[in-house]
Amino acid sequence: MDDLPLQKIAISGPTLASLIQRVSSSLADADGLLFGHFSLVTPSTLSDDSSADPAASTLVATITSFICSGAPHSSFDTLARVSSGHHIPRGTHLIGWFSGRRKSRLQPSMRDFAVSASLSADPKLSFPVVSSTSSRFSPRVFLLFSTPPATPETATIHTHEYRAYHFSPATETFEPKSVSVVNIGPGFRGHYGNFSPNSPFPLLACELRGSSMMQEDIEEERLSVMMQATKDKKELDLMVEGFEIGSLRRLMGPEATAYTAGLEEMYEKMLTKISSLARLVEKSSARVLELENHNSKIRADIAGIKRAADA
Amino acid sequence: MASDYFPPFIAAQLNYLITHFPQAVKVEQAWSGSRNYPGVLDRFTLCIPYCLDYIKWDIIYNAEFPLSAPDVVFGPEDEQFHPFRLTGSEGGDEAKPLKMILSDWSYKDPTRLCALIQELRNEYILYQQKRAGAVNDYRLKFEINTMLSREGIEIQVSSGLEKPEEVKFAVPLLDMNINKMVHGCPWRHLQKIQLQVVYPIGKKYTPRLKLISTTELKALFSVEDVKLPTWVDGMCMAEYLPHLEESLQGQIMEAVSSIDVRRHFIEALAPLLGRPLEAEPIFCRKATFLVASGAFTFQAHLSIPTQFPKQQAALMLMSNQHFNSHHAPIRSALLTDYPWSPRWDISQMAERMFDFLLDEAVNFKRYCNEMQL
Repeated sequence: MDDLPLQKIAISGPTLASLIQRVSSSLADADGLLFGHFSLVTPSTLSDDSSADPAASTLVATITSFICSGAPHSSFDTLARVSSGHHIPRGTHLIGWFSGRRKSRLQPSMRDFAVSASLSADPKLSFPVVSSTSSRFSPRVFLLFSTPPATPETATIHTHEYRAYHFSPATETFEPKSVSVVNIGPGFRGHYGNFSPNSPFPLLACELRGSSMMQEDIEEERLSVMMQATKDKKELDLMVEGFEIGSLRRLMGPEATAYTAGLEEMYEKMLTKISSLARLVEKSSARVLELENHNSKIRADIAGIKRAADA
Repeated sequence: MASDYFPPFIAAQLNYLITHFPQAVKVEQAWSGSRNYPGVLDRFTLCIPYCLDYIKWDIIYNAEFPLSAPDVVFGPEDEQFHPFRLTGSEGGDEAKPLKMILSDWSYKDPTRLCALIQELRNEYILYQQKRAGAVNDYRLKFEINTMLSREGIEIQVSSGLEKPEEVKFAVPLLDMNINKMVHGCPWRHLQKIQLQVVYPIGKKYTPRLKLISTTELKALFSVEDVKLPTWVDGMCMAEYLPHLEESLQGQIMEAVSSIDVRRHFIEALAPLLGRPLEAEPIFCRKATFLVASGAFTFQAHLSIPTQFPKQQAALMLMSNQHFNSHHAPIRSALLTDYPWSPRWDISQMAERMFDFLLDEAVNFKRYCNEMQL
């Protein structure tokens, strides 16, 4: 099943846009990992011949998320081996990688080949194909981004080009594949199932504890479940800051009108918390930027580049 | 932009490459890929001689990340050329030196780029050999089998949409060091003569043949003067080359000994015309003498061909006293119609030329006076 042909590569519009944004805003060339899944799609032929031929089904790679560190050769070492310690988002697999090379021809480079070959050959990275029982797939999608070499006339226009490839491990070749950009709308309903949220809503298994829950039921719960519930409750309590789930009951019935003030107070608290969080994020971003500038200055010193700011 | 420059670490590696690479590589184009420093050049197209042609590779550095090794984008027709793989399906140790260069990359070491390109070019030779071996043509297969062991041979398969498919061979000829044969040799690169053999695939034509030498060799020996032996139908390279090499060797020996003949000729002119104002000392192809005829002085510029004394030297006279409307000295046309025989001995050649110059001085003076009016 390993040589099942990949029909196309699907990516949602926002994911593609943010990929392009990330590549174009990085200081130099950048690469990163692509996450998602492969799925088997059996085309409905609508004919009377209903024999579902598994060979007729095609494989679609769906890119749901990515990581990019904004630096060249970051996800892979000099010998094109994948750097360890990458966090793979829940529910997805490492299906390939991308390389953004500024102002260069849109053609896989020596390194692109080496990385793709090394990724597809690593048995540790293979994973099962969705809706298929037997086949496993290794990461083999490659997206190449580039900006065309600028001429003075086009210097003010930002052009981004990309090309998608399927790396075939058997023949060790790049096969150009079409990218279908999936957007929201009736035409794309079939794709809805292909995208899963990255942070699913937490299970609120704890809210009724100690109130209406029967005592004897608790006895039957296993210790681990109890501990998980306690942990969840703690997290939840932290989020609501004193505004217990239990008091939600007061939102109903005759008490409700009197309780509006309390609710408003809660919202205000939340807003303050959000704005203080925003300030924290802002501060830490500034700090990150400062460090990044510092690093960039050190790198420029090493490279012997004269910086306009220093001149 | 006038202020565009290579950062020092790239400049050092590039300079080393250009001065130390066995072939004459050149940078065709350089540009910047940096967002913050658009004037800092960090990517360029290298033209690398291969099989009497050039292969063009884009070398991609990142000026802002000097510690990273550069990447290479090969030519569009070489998309199947993958010299660097971690897990080789065949052998695996094929590209070992290449891995060493990349894994051990140091931006401070100016020799790295040169080593990288050298290694990639070696891999490219093997890649083209493999491609040529895969071409289904029995005559070609035979040529490859018999010729591949020849040192320095390069093969290129060219196939394009509009071009007919053909296989080119660049066969180095003569296992001799011409540089060493020239006294005071000024050449930095080893001078070579190669035979280009172009086989059209699947057709029964005789191959196209052309002799090509390094450009500097022209000062000593011009391959354009060589008449190639005819390629008899059904011949193969292994049959053809020995004859060609033999005749070439003789011609080169002759060309080398011609240097001495030229030198003696210039020396023989000296007692008659005085010491030359200027004489090219290594190949003795050019000499300038000052000639006086009464009060009229002029310079006689001699250019002596590589086939001297079979071919006579060309003379050009230039007045020291007459100038045209652009204030440039008045010159004569190239004179080759003076008395000459390759069978004369050197001193006679010199004497006859001296006599001719004295006679021609009168004509040239008249010509100068007319031109000046």
